[in-house]
Amino acid sequence: MLDPRKRDAQADAFMSSPNVLIERLNRGVTRRNARWSFVGAQPFGAALEVRRFHLGNGLTVLTLVDRSAPTVSYHTWFRVGSRHERPGKTGLAHLFEHLMFNETKNRSHGEFDRLMERAGAEANAATWTDWTYFYENAPKNALPLLIELEADRMSNLVLREPQVRSEKEVVANERKLRVEDDIEGRALERLYATAFRRHPYRWPTIGWMKDIRGFTVDDCRQFYRTHYAPNNATVIVAGDFSERQALSLVQERYGRLSAARQVDTAPRPKEPGQRSERVFRIAAPTPTDKLLIGYRVPPFTDPHTLALGVANELLFGGRSSRLYQLFCLDEEIALSVRGAISPFVDPGLFEIWISLREGKRMDDAVALLDREVARLAEDGPTDIELDKAINQIELSFLYSMETVGGKAEQLGFYETVVNDGRTGFERLEGYRRVTAGQVKRAAAEYFRPSRRTRIEISENAA
Amino acid sequence: MTRATKTKVLIESSDVLPLVDIEIAFRVGSLQDPIGKEGLAQLTSHLMRRGPHGVSAESFEERLANLGARLSVDTAMRSTRVRATTLRRNLESLIELVADLVWRPAMRARDFAKLKRHAQAALLARLDDDQTLGAIQLRERLFAGHPYGRSSSGSADSLRRIGLQDVKRFYARYLEKEPFIVGVSGDISDSEAQSLVRAHFPRRTRKMNGKHDVPATRIPRGRHVVIVDKPERTQTQLYIGTLGARTHDRTLFPLIVSNTAFGGTFTGPLMQEVRAVRGWSYGAYSRLMHSDQRDAWYMWSAPSVEYSADCAELQLDLLDHWVDEGLAKPTLKFAQQYLTNSHCFDRDTPSKRLESRLDIELLGVPRRYVEHHDELIAQVTCKQASDATRARISPRDLVIVVVATAKNVQSAFEKLPGVKSVEVVPYRA
Repeated sequence: MLDPRKRDAQADAFMSSPNVLIERLNRGVTRRNARWSFVGAQPFGAALEVRRFHLGNGLTVLTLVDRSAPTVSYHTWFRVGSRHERPGKTGLAHLFEHLMFNETKNRSHGEFDRLMERAGAEANAATWTDWTYFYENAPKNALPLLIELEADRMSNLVLREPQVRSEKEVVANERKLRVEDDIEGRALERLYATAFRRHPYRWPTIGWMKDIRGFTVDDCRQFYRTHYAPNNATVIVAGDFSERQALSLVQERYGRLSAARQVDTAPRPKEPGQRSERVFRIAAPTPTDKLLIGYRVPPFTDPHTLALGVANELLFGGRSSRLYQLFCLDEEIALSVRGAISPFVDPGLFEIWISLREGKRMDDAVALLDREVARLAEDGPTDIELDKAINQIELSFLYSMETVGGKAEQLGFYETVVNDGRTGFERLEGYRRVTAGQVKRAAAEYFRPSRRTRIEISENAA
Repeated sequence: MTRATKTKVLIESSDVLPLVDIEIAFRVGSLQDPIGKEGLAQLTSHLMRRGPHGVSAESFEERLANLGARLSVDTAMRSTRVRATTLRRNLESLIELVADLVWRPAMRARDFAKLKRHAQAALLARLDDDQTLGAIQLRERLFAGHPYGRSSSGSADSLRRIGLQDVKRFYARYLEKEPFIVGVSGDISDSEAQSLVRAHFPRRTRKMNGKHDVPATRIPRGRHVVIVDKPERTQTQLYIGTLGARTHDRTLFPLIVSNTAFGGTFTGPLMQEVRAVRGWSYGAYSRLMHSDQRDAWYMWSAPSVEYSADCAELQLDLLDHWVDEGLAKPTLKFAQQYLTNSHCFDRDTPSKRLESRLDIELLGVPRRYVEHHDELIAQVTCKQASDATRARISPRDLVIVVVATAKNVQSAFEKLPGVKSVEVVPYRA
């Protein structure tokens, strides 16, 4: 008799064509929700390929076979984040990140975690403005368990008073840890609350404390029904697994689930243009002053963010960057400087964090920053600087994909924010095509003081 | 695989991504810091990091960045590691640059002055991080007067006492002519890595000095509370610690299994009682550390100020129960399954596999710990785990550190069972 592993390998080889594979999987399946369709395949770097499938109930599945380690990463990305909340109910998406680890109709309280840990799986989740994702990194033989448990909690979560009460307390503590007693957390919250006046990006993903305290079980049930459904989710399977077996199990477990009647895709209120600089001061027990600055920038999908990404690398990427050299080495005005573009669906911020040295003045730091961004807008980068920036971006991108979990995360992010998980490498090519002129124009357009919000943190803030 | 050249070269190949990591590791660290000049090892490696002879610090950084490379230097208690990552296509140029950096460092006075000011500023910035403040205080108190209690970053006073000549002497004595190990991982073949190392790195004929003579660690008797007083805290950082294990303890694996069952997983009693049942802290875990001498064992949580002392009392009860009662068979089995099943994540990337092998060569971790990990875990019995816990973890002798606004917690912490002393220290001390 043939060794079952060999039998799997032969079957996989025969069905390596995805069209053949789904044709087999769909045989005899009459329920529309459980029928597969294959959308397309695309190379993922030099050695790998990502494939995209749809299940009849709207679930999108991306697969990436990578046999470099005997592990698998299973991600479920939902298109729900703090932008889908409303005033008075902020933090609900994040609370769900916690609640989803609780009881289901089929599994008792705590069973999810026990089964995952016994299998050697690391299970966790994250929430931001536009998405929430749940993931497991596990030994490869745990994949059937991951599929079973994730499908179960997508539709069978039980929401009762004791669990909601307990998780609200945990989240309140998390807020104290990450925001109220954390200088950078407080500053970030204030930055978005000051820079945005209409768009939901103005409230924090963890929610205002008053809102966290006020959630009811009904709020939670309604939120779950609206956002947690196969047609609002993408599953990513990456690692050492049989695609045939994975798709077959997904079909069996998720094919029973129904799509939500209406998924919330409504556009959010447009943020009015900013005409003058906004400044907010925070007093905090800290030995040195800090500055957090946010310039209004377009959404992540906007082509200008490529030039802004290169500008970020030139200004803040590593020790050879212009602003690190100037602030931390030449002038010794700061201990660290950092920049980042918010990777949001709607227009966000280009954030700059400057941690000043003792006795150094914030006005001097702002004047230096203005001088440098004006220089970039005026002269642009040199060809050598452009090459350097692109090399560094490539290194960061590749580095983020060292593990199968990292690869799955990249796929999930691009699928959810850009609507195509396979575009990470295309974006890398996009960076390569950025010209000095584009960087110059982006700096001139976006790094204007009138477009920015400044948060100043010091022990004696007035 | 390892080749018997004069310089030990460890290689882990994988062509999944066009990246290569290279690591040069020395068996020297902050344990070699002279008393009163703590931070010397770290300052030395950081000054080395500023670039080789004939290249300014700025040009060196430019060259690194142009190669699409990242470079870090990490000084721990027992090791100094220079790590670089680069795009595959630029590997040879990077190796040349790194070799130049390590064996021909410029050590310029101007760079040293800047570096010292940077190190002083970094110490100050640490005051913003409550969790780090608590962790540093725990080690200082737990290992009072012992080298394990020193911070590798030193203190404002110790940094002031270090001059450029100290750094140059330290480099000459411990790094310049001493043996080292090279690790290469990623998109590179065994033979290519060997030949690159042979071409660019000096040979060492002496053997690595294996032992750092460190005296045995001793725990202060009784339960001692230290409150790190910081204004406006709404929650607290709580550390409860005692001595842990030695790397070569026969009971190390039983203790690893026992600690995992108690506070090493989400479903263990520590996390369940503190977070899941009461919602008192975002997290709660226990960590077992091991070294040549007994290192630390500690619990961490971050309870809100209003129930910080209650949380400490609960954790002390859980600790007593764990040590007195030992482990039940199903609990033991669960921890064993967790440890063996999740072990694949200690070796799922070439760089992680390399780190395990470097730990064997550099830190004296017995080879069987890495190569027979799963068997060593599976062999542990209930009795061994419970005995090891009782032998090594002392609930009577504890250092309890809480970072909080002292006036809000002091009286409650004074009432904790068995507390012998309570001391308040300002967070800027």
